[in-house]
Order: sequence, then C-alpha cells, then structure tokens
Amino acid sequence: MFKKYFLQALVSGILAALAASIYDRIYFFATEADFSQVLSVTRIISLCFLFCFAAAFLDWFLVLKLKRKGEVIFNFLFSIASFALIIIPISVSLPLDIKFPELFPGLAVPMVFFPAISWYTVVPLFRKDPVGKTQ
Amino acid sequence: MAVSAFTAFQSSGLKIGGDYSVKFDGGDPSGEFKGLKGTINFDPANLATSNFDVSIDVATINTGNGMKNTHAVSDKWLDAAKYPVIKFTSKSIAKTAAGYEAKGVLDMHGVQKEITLPFTFVNNVFKGGFEVNRMDYQINTAEPKHGGSVFKIDITVPVTK
Repeated sequence: MFKKYFLQALVSGILAALAASIYDRIYFFATEADFSQVLSVTRIISLCFLFCFAAAFLDWFLVLKLKRKGEVIFNFLFSIASFALIIIPISVSLPLDIKFPELFPGLAVPMVFFPAISWYTVVPLFRKDPVGKTQ
Repeated sequence: MAVSAFTAFQSSGLKIGGDYSVKFDGGDPSGEFKGLKGTINFDPANLATSNFDVSIDVATINTGNGMKNTHAVSDKWLDAAKYPVIKFTSKSIAKTAAGYEAKGVLDMHGVQKEITLPFTFVNNVFKGGFEVNRMDYQINTAEPKHGGSVFKIDITVPVTK
C-alpha cells in the first residue's frame, strides 16, 4: 500500500523541485538578489523531496489508522503546515554579507507551497477514484 | 607584537579602512552598521592629544532580515529620519593594562550619555567593545521585553595614515 504513496511523493517531489528551481532562477534574473548561500538549488530540491516524502508518510499513516477520515485530516494538516511555514522565511535572519535581505521572503514564501501544490496536482494519478468515492 | 605596533605607530588624522565592522548583538536582533566616518586622531605616545569623533549611519543597519531592518529605522525604534547618526565623541583616552580606554559621549536617539570604550590598537587595527542598554537611550521604552534590551557592541576598525 505504501508503494503508491512513495511514488506519489517521488512524482510530486520532482514537480515541486522543478517548479521551485525554475522560480529561483526567474527570481534571481528579475531581482539580481543572490540567496544561493542560504537557499542553493541543491537545498531547494532536497527540501521539496523531504516535504513530499514526509507528506506521503503522514498520509499513509493517517489513512491506515483512520481510513477515509485520515485523508481529510491529512489534507487539512498539509495545508495548515504549508501556511505555517511562511513564518520561517519571514522571520529568519540571513548572514550579514547577503545583500537585499528584504527580498528573501519574496523568493522563499511562494516556495513553501510548492510541495503541497505538486502533491495535490498528482493526487488523481494515484487514487483509484477519489471523486467517485464521495458520490 | 603589541609592543611593536605601539612603538611603530605614532600618528594622527587616521583614515578608516573599508573593511571595518560595527556589530551589535542583543540575541535577537543582532547585526551590524555601516557608514562609519569621522575623525580619528591617535598617537600612543601622546594620548592627551588623541581623540575620536566618529559616527555611524543609522539607516545602514543590517540585521539580516528585511522586516527587522525596516522596523529598526522606524520611529518606534532608532528613528533614523529624526536621528540619522549615532555619534561617539571622546573626551579623554588613557592607557590601561589591557590596552586603552576612551571616555566620551555616545549620542544616540537624541540622548547623550557618557560611556567608557575599552579598546586595543594592534597592527593598525582598533578593536573595542562595550554594552548599551537601549532603555537608557529611550529606544522603544514601551516594549522593554521586545527583542534585546542590552546590546553588546563590537567594533573593529583598521586604519591607515
């Protein structure tokens, strides 16, 4: 059963990492602000996979224990966690040699939503008939 | 090394090197200032004629966080628009066992207070540090527990003739 969650984490992780890496480059060319010292491409990709695999484990565990309710609770938790993560890029103090720290939230805040967006984008590929079950 | 610097360096009207640092640490926030300028006259052999008259630009504060930087220069905190510089003017400089100490007036946020700034001078680099309590300078006294109250200031200033 965990296999489909693993695959979903893998696919959504790839999507999130790709989207975040593209956004990182676009943001750099638009602002000329270089935050690679604290948010390198490697770190971005690693974090995307980390969140997606953590989500997969949590989803699997909740569904295993709570069946249908587990999926609902997971959706709420993943959304709430994504919103809560906004506080990190807003409150973090960057190394003093990094210029334009005021532009860092503009880069990192949207990124905290990429794992969740990617996860929910690929949900239909890994559920038999999520819509049908509710009808 | 300190002795050689002491004996070799006898000058006044020193230029501040570009790689100086004025750092503050109050836990959260901590950071640094730029915009150090002013007059440094220092002659280890003639401390009576030595003096510091230096300032830093409040608007250059950098905590590493854009939001905190904006708050720091606002009228709630340092009020950079009304008090654009923090200034130290020495009144006397004396030799101590560890190096030197400058007594003078720190002018910050419209409040002038006498402070003692212990420092060393080795290889044409001044290094010193002291503590300031923002409450003494009427900085956001309404929120004494918001961020740090006592800030440790560390200053490193390389100089050239």
